[in-house]
Amino acid sequence: MVERRRPVKLVLRNVSKAFAGRNGSVTALEDVSLEVRQGEFVCLVGPSGCGKSTLLNLIAGLERPSRGEILMDGRPVTGPAPERMVLFQESALFPWLNVVHNVEFGLKQKGVPARVRREIALYYLEMVHLRKFAGAYVHELSGGMKQRVALARALAADPDVLLMDEPFAALDAQTRDILHAELQEIWAATRKTVVFITHNVREAVCLGDRVVVLTYRPGRVKAHCEVALPRPRQIEDEGLLAVVAEVTASLRGEVMKALNEELNERVEGHEPAKAGVLRRAVGALGSGR
Amino acid sequence: MNLRRLVFFGALLGLWEAAARAGFWPPYIFPSFSSVSRTLLAGLWDGSIVLGVVVSLRRILLAYSFSAVVGTILGLALGRIKALEDTVGSLALGLQTLPSICWLPLALLWFGLSEQAILFVTVMGAVLSITIATEAGVRSLPPIYLRAGRTMGARGLALYRDVILPAAFPYMVSGLKQGWSFAWRSLMAGELLYVNLGLGQLLMMGRELNDMGQVVAVMLVIIGIGVVVDRGIFARIEQRIRSKWGLLA
Repeated sequence: MVERRRPVKLVLRNVSKAFAGRNGSVTALEDVSLEVRQGEFVCLVGPSGCGKSTLLNLIAGLERPSRGEILMDGRPVTGPAPERMVLFQESALFPWLNVVHNVEFGLKQKGVPARVRREIALYYLEMVHLRKFAGAYVHELSGGMKQRVALARALAADPDVLLMDEPFAALDAQTRDILHAELQEIWAATRKTVVFITHNVREAVCLGDRVVVLTYRPGRVKAHCEVALPRPRQIEDEGLLAVVAEVTASLRGEVMKALNEELNERVEGHEPAKAGVLRRAVGALGSGR
Repeated sequence: MNLRRLVFFGALLGLWEAAARAGFWPPYIFPSFSSVSRTLLAGLWDGSIVLGVVVSLRRILLAYSFSAVVGTILGLALGRIKALEDTVGSLALGLQTLPSICWLPLALLWFGLSEQAILFVTVMGAVLSITIATEAGVRSLPPIYLRAGRTMGARGLALYRDVILPAAFPYMVSGLKQGWSFAWRSLMAGELLYVNLGLGQLLMMGRELNDMGQVVAVMLVIIGIGVVVDRGIFARIEQRIRSKWGLLA
């Protein structure tokens, strides 16, 4: 539970983002307002296509909002900076560098001397239990190891905010459980502010102090759910279920909207006969199984 | 060198020697392996072939390193700037279809019978291959590397040096390799046609003196240099990249 007294780290004020699409502009995000306090772990959930990743890219400064503003420590975000590190779904490690050089990358850009940055890199590799693999190349690592290196690489730059874009979505369940535990441990030790995106409600409730539900296209904030459960949590903890149910209920309607729309896009004009069958199936899902 | 290959080349040389000794053709048309070897050794000993090798290698190194630098810069610019790609990019693609020795007449007009003319032709052989491959490498760069690099504070030149160039390098190597072989061919053709000194000119001299032994000996030297560069340099770089990046062999 985050004390209310903690200063606000990130502020999103009426943020909208539109992209130029084939048929005019598509609004990905509309009027999103959000505050994240220092040291808080916030999870964003929403159906695919709700603009979660766009929101993260905006906070990262990789894209600019069409309207509204994003503040960090009261100053507007104008571009990417190492104080806001991103962990992508694919690890985005550089295959031309070995593990330790990958972790050193951000420090090298800052001009940290070679000896010091090696020391820092090894410290964070130790933290993710991969010090032994410092000399390995990226392709020699498993998916879970890659994400741990990516986490070490992000932490080595000593950011204030960690932005995580479904970082564990491509991993198998066992690896993901281990990484959930490690991430909570590391978060407890470093007290970084974390914005974590996922479409997995259980994951969100397991990790977050707060779960924010986004609506389907355009993405808006639909609900906030506080998670006041003791840590460390595990994904199969019984205690999570009540919050999971609450979030899922809020999310269900959005998922239905997403499915329906996708269906219409896919089916329209092609196979009208199939469309009816699929619609009924989606309807059955929507009525709560 | 494995046994099978050794036997093959041994047999080939034996056949060559036997065919030459059978006397179907006079030696000034079909020299034997042994006489070619003698000419080669003599040429190495008296320095004429060594001088040819040194002159030709100096030319190719000069022209090739210039091409590598210019081609890389041009390729990066073409890959990053859409307006350049549409204009200069299509020009480069068009010009690349022209065998670079076809630049020789123009080069002679522009630079006269000079070292610059042959260097120009050699550069035209290499630079476009390198440009086009670099551009392809930049264009196929996964955007996530750029985003990752930028969030970690790489910007401006550092972004090129630490992210874009190394990410494009596997593509560039194929262009560098092709550029090398085009440059080497153009240089030999250019030297054959007019310039003094160099391996190409030694070939022509052999012809003028009716010394087929020298012609074949110089051809062997040219092959040798090609093999050494290809196997010794480019194959190694490619192997290194494959093992680093984990690409299939």
